[in-house]
Amino acid sequence: MPISLEEILETIRMTEVEHFDIRTVTMGISLLDCRSDDLQRLKTNIYDKVTRIAAEHVKMARKVESAYGISIANKRLAVTPLAIAAEGFYKEDYIEIARVLDKAADELGIDYLGGFSALVQKGFTPGDRQLIQAIPEALASTEHICSSVNVASTKAGMNMEAIRMMGEIVKETARATADRDAIGCAKLVVFANVPEDNPFIAGAFHGVSEPDVVVNVGISGPGVVLRAVREAEEDLDFSALADRIRAMAFKITRAGIFIGHEVARLQNVPFGIVDISLAPTPLQGDSVADILKAMGLEDVGATGTTAALALLNDSVKRGGLMASSHVGGLSGAFIPVSEDAGMIEAVKKGHISIEKLEAMTSVCSVGLDMVAIPGKTPAEVIAGMIADEAAIGITNNKTTAVRAIPVPGKDVGDSVDYGGLLGEAPIMPVSQLSNNIFIRRGGRFPAPTRGANN
Amino acid sequence: MTLNEQEIRKIAEEAVRQLGKDATEEKIEQVVREAAERVAREEPGAVSRQTTPINQTHNRIIITAFGRNRIGILAGLTAILAEHQCDILDLSQKILQEFFTIMLLVDISNCNMSFEEIKQEVVRRGEDLDLKVIVQHEDIFNAMHRI
Repeated sequence: MPISLEEILETIRMTEVEHFDIRTVTMGISLLDCRSDDLQRLKTNIYDKVTRIAAEHVKMARKVESAYGISIANKRLAVTPLAIAAEGFYKEDYIEIARVLDKAADELGIDYLGGFSALVQKGFTPGDRQLIQAIPEALASTEHICSSVNVASTKAGMNMEAIRMMGEIVKETARATADRDAIGCAKLVVFANVPEDNPFIAGAFHGVSEPDVVVNVGISGPGVVLRAVREAEEDLDFSALADRIRAMAFKITRAGIFIGHEVARLQNVPFGIVDISLAPTPLQGDSVADILKAMGLEDVGATGTTAALALLNDSVKRGGLMASSHVGGLSGAFIPVSEDAGMIEAVKKGHISIEKLEAMTSVCSVGLDMVAIPGKTPAEVIAGMIADEAAIGITNNKTTAVRAIPVPGKDVGDSVDYGGLLGEAPIMPVSQLSNNIFIRRGGRFPAPTRGANN
Repeated sequence: MTLNEQEIRKIAEEAVRQLGKDATEEKIEQVVREAAERVAREEPGAVSRQTTPINQTHNRIIITAFGRNRIGILAGLTAILAEHQCDILDLSQKILQEFFTIMLLVDISNCNMSFEEIKQEVVRRGEDLDLKVIVQHEDIFNAMHRI
């Protein structure tokens, strides 16, 4: 059946008016064969491999953009978690490696490179500890590097020492980048149940079970889903509403997988997965919050918001799973505050709180994402936020994460503007009650019973 | 990817040794690339090249043009296609109030220009005619609108 004029016009409306784009085409590169006990050698190996494998990544992505008329917002790289690929080094060495990767990313024209990461849900290796201590300076002295630490999983439970440590690391990262409103914290995410093939920054890394090189793709498209929901009459019931979202999710996922396959094919690299997370941008009309409002809420934060998000998330998954056999990564709606114009508005009006965002985590992917909090917030409070999110994650067998920004010198009522895709973050109030004894208990928080599912 | 980093490094080092003072960056890269390709050919199963499941019709493009209706816009666009041996397979148009939309399905197999060049030409001609022109390969529409 030939493509009709209406179908062509719909596609063009999606890309030209509704901001539909491919959020990211992320090339994952294994660094496991770069290992060496000599730091200089290791750095050379890493630099050589990354610049050789990804030499054409940006160029090919641009070619595909031009051929199909769909823009690819970000061209990114993900590497093996450095704590694994470069085990056995010291804090200063990891900072040097981060700078080498940053240089490679810069020369390749890459937006962000993820993988300054450690997986410590059950405990630390010496390299894990050293790498985690290196995070603040690594992020402060690089442009493109992103960091993530997995502190909990349904199988392992929660590493409470790591959670306490990450509270401090987030604070330190904020201090190290205080001159830029703590932008380092926007590039640091603390996970529970982290996926190994996530193409989205800041949590992207190339898992150890992945092939040597792979291309993963992350879609975007709140704008087109928003239109589908806005066009719905007020008395349209939930089954019909879900159907509309599902149909739209199918189309954007098919576009995403097609673009991803093309970028992979042109570089003779296998295609991995499509991540069907609905990712907003600060542009007007590209907001997840606006979709929830269009379902019939006065604003996000109203009672019913969590249910609305659950419907959105599930409908997107149904459409996405029909469109592709290889759905992976996070694949759940994102609700980052600063990156979503509707969320920013709701925070400014006092309509949505950190507590409500935490509740919404239970039905989407990353919970407390790009949340700016008062600079005076103690490390233990941030650790408590991480522990709460991780508990939701491991108990419900899902990914959760915290990307909190304690902005030095700023308090509730202030706002920070990072520009670009990171957007504007109004400082949100968070409970400053003490949890010191709880957080400092340390040890391993037992895995939930549902982890024992064999 | 059949060679690992260490093997590639060894080949490069060997190439540097053999080329001696003739070793330039380009030459070494060429030697390593050829060696890697030879290895890939010898082990056909080793190259994990996935085939794209989506139908590939690389020589068909869709041109969509929007603008105010005036004499000669369709003629202007199609003339440039004819000039470069592009075959128009289908055409639809729609007028909404004074706004004109043209869709052309074009086979560029025999076109004497590359996709990028013909795209630029058509977009430029569109600008002369006050038309916004979007040029895309047909495959993306098949991917999005067909199961």
